[in-house]
Amino acid sequence: MGACCLSSCIRQEALNSEADITTCKISSDILLRDPVITNNKVTLYVNDGTDLSNLSPQFTLTDGATISPASGTALNFNTPQNYTVTSQDGKWKKQYTVECTFANPVTEYHFEDVKYFTDPSDDSGGKKQYYQIFNNLAFDGSSFEWGSGNGGFMITHSDAAATDYPTCQDDNGYIGKCAKLTTCSTGQLGAMFGAPIAAGNLFIGTFEINLIDMAKSTHFGVPFHYIPKELVGYYTYKAGDKYTDKSNNEVVGKKDNFDIYAIFYEVTSDVQYLDGTNSLTSNNIVSIARITDKKETDTWTRFVIPFQLRTGKTIDPVKLKNGQYNISIIMSSSIDGATFNGAVGSTLRVDEMQLFYESGNN
Amino acid sequence: MKKIILSIFSIIFCSTAIVAQNDRNETLINAEKNGWEYEIRAGINIGGASPLPLPVEIRSIDSYKPRFNGSLEGAVTRWLGDKKIWGVSTGIRLEVKGMHTGATVKNYSTEIVDLDSKVAGYWTGYVNTKYSSSFLTVPIMANYRLNKQWKFRTGMYVSYRLDGDFSGYVTNGYLRQGTPVGEKVEFKDGKQGTYDFSDNLRKLHTGAQIGASWQAYSHFNLNADLTWGLNDIFKSNFKTVTFNMYPIYLNVGFGYKF
Repeated sequence: MGACCLSSCIRQEALNSEADITTCKISSDILLRDPVITNNKVTLYVNDGTDLSNLSPQFTLTDGATISPASGTALNFNTPQNYTVTSQDGKWKKQYTVECTFANPVTEYHFEDVKYFTDPSDDSGGKKQYYQIFNNLAFDGSSFEWGSGNGGFMITHSDAAATDYPTCQDDNGYIGKCAKLTTCSTGQLGAMFGAPIAAGNLFIGTFEINLIDMAKSTHFGVPFHYIPKELVGYYTYKAGDKYTDKSNNEVVGKKDNFDIYAIFYEVTSDVQYLDGTNSLTSNNIVSIARITDKKETDTWTRFVIPFQLRTGKTIDPVKLKNGQYNISIIMSSSIDGATFNGAVGSTLRVDEMQLFYESGNN
Repeated sequence: MKKIILSIFSIIFCSTAIVAQNDRNETLINAEKNGWEYEIRAGINIGGASPLPLPVEIRSIDSYKPRFNGSLEGAVTRWLGDKKIWGVSTGIRLEVKGMHTGATVKNYSTEIVDLDSKVAGYWTGYVNTKYSSSFLTVPIMANYRLNKQWKFRTGMYVSYRLDGDFSGYVTNGYLRQGTPVGEKVEFKDGKQGTYDFSDNLRKLHTGAQIGASWQAYSHFNLNADLTWGLNDIFKSNFKTVTFNMYPIYLNVGFGYKF
């Protein structure tokens, strides 16, 4: 009876409040990869030598939303372009940066520069700084941003200070500042979402939260035209006291450990990127560099990790030239953090890292 | 709580059956002559706690179950004057009000706070809600006797909540974090977010009540009463559920008049 009465009182649906770019199309012969669309950025990985001065990307949006400049407008993408999407109800606006990137990522990492994740539509009007994003300027002028799981931590801890996030900058680097990765508790609410801890992580790629399978939230890799040889850097590590499993139960006697590795893999039509579920196992992986000599230490310790070709794998110079390989570097304060196993308080610091490579022409 | 009420129910059933077979004693007969009437009522509450009007965010009510909400009341009526047409009544009622609903919402603003952590944003998708509270209620009613069979009453009540549960889960949808244009967090393929707002339920309720009785046999009445809560079921400082929800229930049952 109550249900009938209530159903008859359902009011007319409100206009949409969301303002998403859902797809981006551009003449496909210039693209190395499918466009990568996050909540406020579209990255277009383009072939070397592409003329960026007159491109007209086309967008599809949330139903009823509008975009300015209009979809299909010709713009000069030698510098990133900003677009504003306005929701159907007119109340919400979102800024997108659309950026073209050549396959020349930075290979020296000092962790000196951070920018902050802000939300122009929040109560502070975009002044509130949520968490830090490590930022590098690439050779071609585009910015290269490290990915992290901080966006997931923000769901339950939007009031946390930027320095309380699992991944943030720290003053006590090997030289200057460094990256600090800490395994954090996510409290009652995190447990409610089935994620009792959040390991600090830092990787080359993007983070797009996937609650069904958290390990799939991390999308690893950017195009790379060279043959990676060695990953070199410095670390300190302290394991947290109490190791817990994904149900937040203590595992007595188990000690936490960290992980640093780099992968070089082939991009195929069915595998555009690797994620936390297959970043060490995918058949597309050509070579891996993974740290083996690990210890707890509070003095900066150098690591040199060579890339090792996987059995039966070779690097095809033609594919290399055509940008069909991706590279990613992945670090975590808890080696099994992706499945929520780890010790709260485990802290990995990394600084002055460099990826050595050689050209495929040699 | 439900168990307690059920056991009280069964005790009353048995005892009324026994009492009915005995002759009424002198005291009761004299009391009735002076305008006093004593009654024991048992019933069930059918209804729900609902926002009024339904907010635009609610797109459909997908399921509704009233649950078993028992009530048990001892009532006393004092009929006035010689004709005994008008009277006043009061009593004490132990009752459960509950419901179980599934609804689909669009762009529904929510904020869940727990110590140092907080989830705030806009939810689009399915919301499952279980609500149940038990109350000790005191009604104060004006009564009108139309004839030997029919009595009507209207008045107010005050309820004190003894315990309560307001919990559920969300699934098949997504949260936009902070604002409708914030990061999108999808809940699909059976992934649920649970919530429990039981600690935020209000203790003291007031409301309006209107009802009628039909005398089926000399001592048995059939009763129907609509109770309409005037307070939000939540404490006023609780902001997670952004609209007020009012308990609206129809109580139907029978009474034994001594």
